[in-house]
Amino acid sequence: MAAESEQTFSETSPALQNAVKSSNQPPPETKESLWLRRLSILSFWAVVVFLGLPIWLKTTAIYRAELPLQEMTEWAEGKVCKPVFPLRIAVEAPDVSADAHHLLRTTQHALDDINDFSAHHLRLMLADPPLTANASQQVVSDGTRIQSDDEDVALLIRLIPVETGTTPRSHLQPFSPTLDVYYSPNQIPSQSSTGSTLATFLAQELHSLFAEEQAQLAHLLSTISGAHAAKVKALSPETSAQLERQSTRALKYAPTYHLTFSLFSPSYAPSAWDIETALRTYISPLLESFSGISNFTVDTQVQLYATFAPSVRQPEYDEETKAWTLRKEDLSGFVNAAEWPLSPSIGKGPTVNFIVYVPDHTQSPLLVNENAGNSWLIPQWGGVHILNLQSESDTPSALTTEMLAPAMHTFSNQLISLFGLPQSPASLPLRISTLERVRAASLIFSASSTLGALAQVYKKLPSIPVPDNVAQSTHRTIVHLQQACDFLRDGRFPSALEHARAAEVEAEKAFFERSMVGQVYFPDEHKVAVYLPLLGPVAVPLVMAALKELKSILKRG
Amino acid sequence: MTIDTQQKLLLFGAAAAVRLLLFTVFPALPELLAGRVEVSTPVTSFKRLQEGVFLYTHNVSPYDGGVYHQAPLLLPLFSLLPNPAYAPLATNLFYTAVDLLSANALAHVADSGFASVTRLFASPRKELRWSSAAIAAGFLFNPFTVATCIARSTSALTNLFVLTAMAKASHGASITFVLAAAFASYLAMHPILLFPPLLLLLYDARTLKTKTAPDVSSFVITHSLGFAAAIAALLSASAALTGSWDFLAATYGVRLLLPDLTPNVGLWWYFFIEMFDSFREFFLGVFWLHAASYMPGLTIRLNKQPLFVACTLTGVFAIFTPYPSIADAALYLSLVPMFRHLFPLMRYTFLASASILYTSFLGPAFYHLWVYAGSGNANFFYAITLVWSLGLSIILGDSLYAALRDELDVERPELQGKEVRRI
Repeated sequence: MAAESEQTFSETSPALQNAVKSSNQPPPETKESLWLRRLSILSFWAVVVFLGLPIWLKTTAIYRAELPLQEMTEWAEGKVCKPVFPLRIAVEAPDVSADAHHLLRTTQHALDDINDFSAHHLRLMLADPPLTANASQQVVSDGTRIQSDDEDVALLIRLIPVETGTTPRSHLQPFSPTLDVYYSPNQIPSQSSTGSTLATFLAQELHSLFAEEQAQLAHLLSTISGAHAAKVKALSPETSAQLERQSTRALKYAPTYHLTFSLFSPSYAPSAWDIETALRTYISPLLESFSGISNFTVDTQVQLYATFAPSVRQPEYDEETKAWTLRKEDLSGFVNAAEWPLSPSIGKGPTVNFIVYVPDHTQSPLLVNENAGNSWLIPQWGGVHILNLQSESDTPSALTTEMLAPAMHTFSNQLISLFGLPQSPASLPLRISTLERVRAASLIFSASSTLGALAQVYKKLPSIPVPDNVAQSTHRTIVHLQQACDFLRDGRFPSALEHARAAEVEAEKAFFERSMVGQVYFPDEHKVAVYLPLLGPVAVPLVMAALKELKSILKRG
Repeated sequence: MTIDTQQKLLLFGAAAAVRLLLFTVFPALPELLAGRVEVSTPVTSFKRLQEGVFLYTHNVSPYDGGVYHQAPLLLPLFSLLPNPAYAPLATNLFYTAVDLLSANALAHVADSGFASVTRLFASPRKELRWSSAAIAAGFLFNPFTVATCIARSTSALTNLFVLTAMAKASHGASITFVLAAAFASYLAMHPILLFPPLLLLLYDARTLKTKTAPDVSSFVITHSLGFAAAIAALLSASAALTGSWDFLAATYGVRLLLPDLTPNVGLWWYFFIEMFDSFREFFLGVFWLHAASYMPGLTIRLNKQPLFVACTLTGVFAIFTPYPSIADAALYLSLVPMFRHLFPLMRYTFLASASILYTSFLGPAFYHLWVYAGSGNANFFYAITLVWSLGLSIILGDSLYAALRDELDVERPELQGKEVRRI
């Protein structure tokens, strides 16, 4: 700034107030000082123009990578991928005969008749029993044949001829996706007949097995954009409400969940628990079977002298049941969020809390007043189990695996509902595969809508920078979405889920890019506030000096 | 002459005694001052230098820790000295000698008389001057210089080379001038801007000495090439020493891009703490261009008084560089007394000296309030650094005005002592 005063000072022609009075014109400057002044002004301008301008252009340019906006919008509007759920159902018949083919055909007809949800349809296929399957059969197998141990098979129906008991009857195996159907041989429809009790029975049975899944998918589709709504079957208000309740209870989908198992006790005991063995025995198998959908990390803690929040009413003794009781209204305040160290999130992903509360032996047993229960689920947060120990004497200092068993059983049930697993059917693998399909669909929707939102942000905010990795993530999202959609159409749900998960991760990464949001709330007008305070004072003398020089040159010229 | 020499010896002896006394009587003082943000910046701190030396002597790249941002050639020099933690005497003697050499160079500059009488210009008040011993004393007993020496900041070395370059230029010694200027630029980067005005000074000195003007273009070309070669040699020696060119980013890159926002007495740190990230690069460019843009304008306008331009530029460095410390101010304030003949023309001496004194006392107090007592905040210290810079820029602007007024007096002697007005 001192230099500016120097330039302008150099224009101080040797004039005094007195001198001005006597001779109105100051004496002319010497040629040398004139050129000196022009050169020095020019040197400042040279710095501004040759160094300042390039730096300005280079450093304030906003880099915006190209995004496939059209494609992104189409995904968001659901024009690219219409999710369909063709379920393959393998039928294992004792003898692969023309009769079996006929049975399949009639059952398929009956199924198609009762199905009113076109996106979700069941496709029956004749399977080779794994034991009798040999190489030659595999080679000739056409589209209607399938290996019964293929992982893409949603359900295996085993037709077992029996002589006794009511036929046809069915039995769903709880730990494998297998439906055993018992029939008497005469129920196989002959080639000529068009209907049979066995076919109708099978169709009805399958329809009811997948009823909840259909309802869930229909509910999911109806909550998304109108593009899908057309072909969605109408749900009854009760089912709708029921599904709504289930989905509010379940945690939001995350690729990783963190499970925290905590032992709280109001006194000094129990101070140890055999939680590792208990988890290995009761929880790990469950987590193992969920591993296709999400990953889990687990930690545990023991907290002694954990007291209730002072605002919560203390348990009351009920003479009738000889138990201490908590009122149902107080359950929401049971977890003393202020003092119990239940961290909201450890590492990535949401935390699910499971709390074992061992009441003091003077307050044992502690039950919920209304239903004498001892556990409850807190939606989207976790579960609580009050572990009432049998012993009359002092609380043991350590809890064994056997003592923890009831709590662990409660927690696995709670985890199942928190995870969003459907209530039926009775077979766990079937429920998990249903969840797989629901999750795959919902992830595809959410990744697509994230893409749409990103496209909107890109269009609406031309001032935000878009780095290259956003474009790369977007491309990867689209590739994964396409693959997920293709696998879905082929009925290969585990692979579809895998790609949908990848798509979701990439889409979130693109949308929440840190360097992009920095200038979201930075309108162009603010740039004036950035530039002016510093550059204004510097620019004014520079511009004024240049103008004055130009004027004098023009006058002379 | 003998009296002069005696006077000088006495002065240097007293200055050395003061320094060594402070080192020995207050053994905690060096550590204390080395930790003060006003004295030690990230690019001159002795503590960081020690870290670099430690890594260097243990065969680790000194720049790996991200702490050391100083020139690589300082490392072998300081690794030769015994560890200052156990045997501080050698380091203390070294820094005392650096200060004495600087004062000697300053006395040489003052002796040359280029402050008031140059080849093309002679001030009408040229009789008004202080002796070189007095000017050297002003440098040696300046509390800012003493504090820099006690804190063992490496800007003492930069100051030594800047002053030596000035001394050699004003005595027409080409080779030593080029070497000293190259060393100063190598150590602190921004002294490279002093090269054009000092080259002009060298040209004047050579012309006066040999009574014939050398050819301008060949003179400029040979000296610029020599300067470039000297810097290239220093940089290659550094690269050979550290085994890679990484030191460029860690030393000059840090000065250019300001990654370390430790507070200092300058204007940059607070501004870049508050700056929107997206405008950071742009304003780094603006600030550097601003600091650099004074050089060509001043050199052209005041080409008759190159020493004054060089002196003014050291003042600009003390205000507008990214990591200034009181060492830079000490250099400028020690050079200003050479222009004693301008003092009668300066108008704001009271204001400037008052604000410098005011900030010298309040600066440490406000820093204490902010960092240690917690009863103040960063704005306290920043306000003081603003006033400090204001004080320095008043001296700068006022002396510039005085220099121009001085030239005007030569040009139009009839206006001497009369008031001027812009038209």
